[in-house]
Amino acid sequence: MGLFDFLFSSSGKIKSLEAQLRVRPTPQLYLQLADAYKESGNMAKAAQVLKLGVSRFPSAPEISRRQAEAEKVERESEKKRLTDKIQTHPNPILYARLAELYKADNEIEKTIQICQAGIKAFPKYGGTYLVLGQIYIEKQKWDEALSQLEKSVELDKYNYMALKLLAQVYMQANRPADAARKFEDILYFAPGDEAILELLKKAREAAGVPATAPDSTAIAREAAISGGRKAVDPGVSGGRKTIMLGRLADQQAGTATSMRDKTLNDGILALRGVEGVNGAILVDQFGLVVAANLDASIDEGLAGALITNVYRTASSNAVKLNVGQFEEGIIEGETGNVHIVQFGDMILAVFAQTNVKMGLLEKTIRDFSMAVQERH
Amino acid sequence: MRAILTQLNKVQGVRGSMVINHDGIVVAGEFADDVDEQGVGAVASSLLAALEGAVKRINLGRLNRFVLTGNENKAVVVDTGPALLFVLLHRDANMGLLNVEIREAAKQVVTQAKM
Repeated sequence: MGLFDFLFSSSGKIKSLEAQLRVRPTPQLYLQLADAYKESGNMAKAAQVLKLGVSRFPSAPEISRRQAEAEKVERESEKKRLTDKIQTHPNPILYARLAELYKADNEIEKTIQICQAGIKAFPKYGGTYLVLGQIYIEKQKWDEALSQLEKSVELDKYNYMALKLLAQVYMQANRPADAARKFEDILYFAPGDEAILELLKKAREAAGVPATAPDSTAIAREAAISGGRKAVDPGVSGGRKTIMLGRLADQQAGTATSMRDKTLNDGILALRGVEGVNGAILVDQFGLVVAANLDASIDEGLAGALITNVYRTASSNAVKLNVGQFEEGIIEGETGNVHIVQFGDMILAVFAQTNVKMGLLEKTIRDFSMAVQERH
Repeated sequence: MRAILTQLNKVQGVRGSMVINHDGIVVAGEFADDVDEQGVGAVASSLLAALEGAVKRINLGRLNRFVLTGNENKAVVVDTGPALLFVLLHRDANMGLLNVEIREAAKQVVTQAKM
């Protein structure tokens, strides 16, 4: 069989399997489709299909095993890429991401070592403290976990995961009142989060506060946590506030802004230039703001936390809604829209007016995405 | 309600639709493919409830609708007021025409709900 014939038959097989999956998905069909992609040389797509299959059929053993294998291969390749990148263009997110990968492979000592190196190089990035805190929780070293998570929250007061874990460690340390305050902080940017409401109820009960107490405490907490919104940011200029990626790194380690950072900053600025766009923000997987250009009235930390929470809610429900793996979401409100797009490990959110030209906005987002992929 | 959905499902790109109340209970559903209607109804209503809070914080006023695109399909959840309209679409469906049809169907859902 010639190359053309092979590609043609491979593509036909993939299309046929995809069509069958749309009508009546089964674990076997997912496995066959993953194999077809693997044979065609598209390993990333094969891994994606397996991931989707597992989310649809979490109790099917063969697909779970195959997906775990594919993820392991993907992690090894990503570890190598990140290690190289840290050598050439270090930034705090790379350390946290690399540590996460070692943690996923249960290489605890290596994870701790990378976190410590990351903290030493970039002491003002909360994500690395968060990974370290998670490790100490797993090792049941509560005091160490508390110290790392408190530092993470101090650096990023809107980090859902850090706040949640800190509250849980407070519960473990028999400090339910402190735990309740952290759960209340989460509800400020994740209002109505059922899991947090349930945890808050338990914390309040343990602290001797009636679970149905008037929300005056929460209101006071909201005022406290949102107090930072009025703070003058050095990036504020002409009613807009800009966070340029690389600035933090520059301040902390004198590192030059890499080409990738420039790409991200340019992309955010390009989006801001589209008529009807009120702002754009790029957050990492930990909910920390990577780059932003927002109206000065918007607190970028709060916006980042809200977007991360919306993304978490939408992406975890995408398969259940029969759309497959999350790629993009548009929230349409009375006075404006928010476009949320997955950018590899990051989440891009664009705040726009209702009259924004969708075609132009989508093209600008696509161009930005392509530029990021080229620099990845 | 079923007649509204049948009409909407005739539009090119629509793979099925349903009307759900705010508690996630399915009022009526019409899908070409094998879809767990009750599961989708429950998830769609809880997703919209979670998003409503975030929309208020971002000062976007009342949440009108949410469009979710995945690597397989696209879904639109419209808050019509008395009920939610869920529409499942082909991933590459032409949203220009569909937006008009979905808006029209949403209006009919409101009218029907008042009867």
